[in-house]
Amino acid sequence: MADKSKEGKEYPPIVWEVERGKIRELAKAIGDPNPIYLDREAAVKEGYKDCPASSTFFTVPMMWCSSMPGVINDLKINFAMVLHGEEEYEYYQQVYPGDVITGKPKIAHIEEKTSKSGKKMDMVTVEIIYTNQKGEKVSKARSLLVERK
Amino acid sequence: MAQDIYYEDINVGDAMPEMVKGPILKLQHVMYAGASGDFNPLHTDDDFAKAVGLDGVICHGMLIMGFVGQAITAWIPKKCLKKFGVRFAGMTKPGNTVTVTGKVTDKRVDAGENIISCEVVAQDENRDVKITGNFEAALPSKG
Repeated sequence: MADKSKEGKEYPPIVWEVERGKIRELAKAIGDPNPIYLDREAAVKEGYKDCPASSTFFTVPMMWCSSMPGVINDLKINFAMVLHGEEEYEYYQQVYPGDVITGKPKIAHIEEKTSKSGKKMDMVTVEIIYTNQKGEKVSKARSLLVERK
Repeated sequence: MAQDIYYEDINVGDAMPEMVKGPILKLQHVMYAGASGDFNPLHTDDDFAKAVGLDGVICHGMLIMGFVGQAITAWIPKKCLKKFGVRFAGMTKPGNTVTVTGKVTDKRVDAGENIISCEVVAQDENRDVKITGNFEAALPSKG
């Protein structure tokens, strides 16, 4: 069982400088041709200051900074048995190239559940609140990790 | 790319324009691994995937969430999106073609904002569900 006493624990912040190329690279990897992610002029024409980060961009700082593997190790969860159950974002403002965002990961909730087939699973909810270089909140990410046993 | 869309134009029950993605190539897994930083070999190394009991590599769940995000922001401008959440319901594999559909479930004025709520689903060519989710957007008013 994931260590329930770790509920509420905060982890070292992730600091990530948002690059224009990374915004474009993620859109290209998804195959999203929306020009707002690729072309500054197109983005400005649609009312953005520059190319905005796309709706799932916050996975980039989280994975590249290895914050989720760090949390998984700390909780002594078996990495091979982890499923990504849910992912949710709240957006408070746009993120643009040159922004430096800081994410603060926290274990929001740990719960043991039993599936219909009688198997036990640990459900771990990790929340990351992101702020920008002005200290303004830009997003909240919530990930549900499921450890099968 | 998303056209101007107004709160008054949206009704509960309206369908989101459908988006079809794929067939997914293993190459796309490699591109997505590099872009996202998720290098779990389950997504790029068939030998590794077989060693843990799968037929071969599976797609990153976040890639499929990315498809859903693409479908949403092709319809509703990205800047209007307030909240977007999904539940990963099943594994997606290379060769699958994923179709994203959705519909409006609620509209309301909340704290001066014109909010629409929608549910979304991503299914493969056999209609197996990969993702269920929902999103909220604040739309401009004509008024």
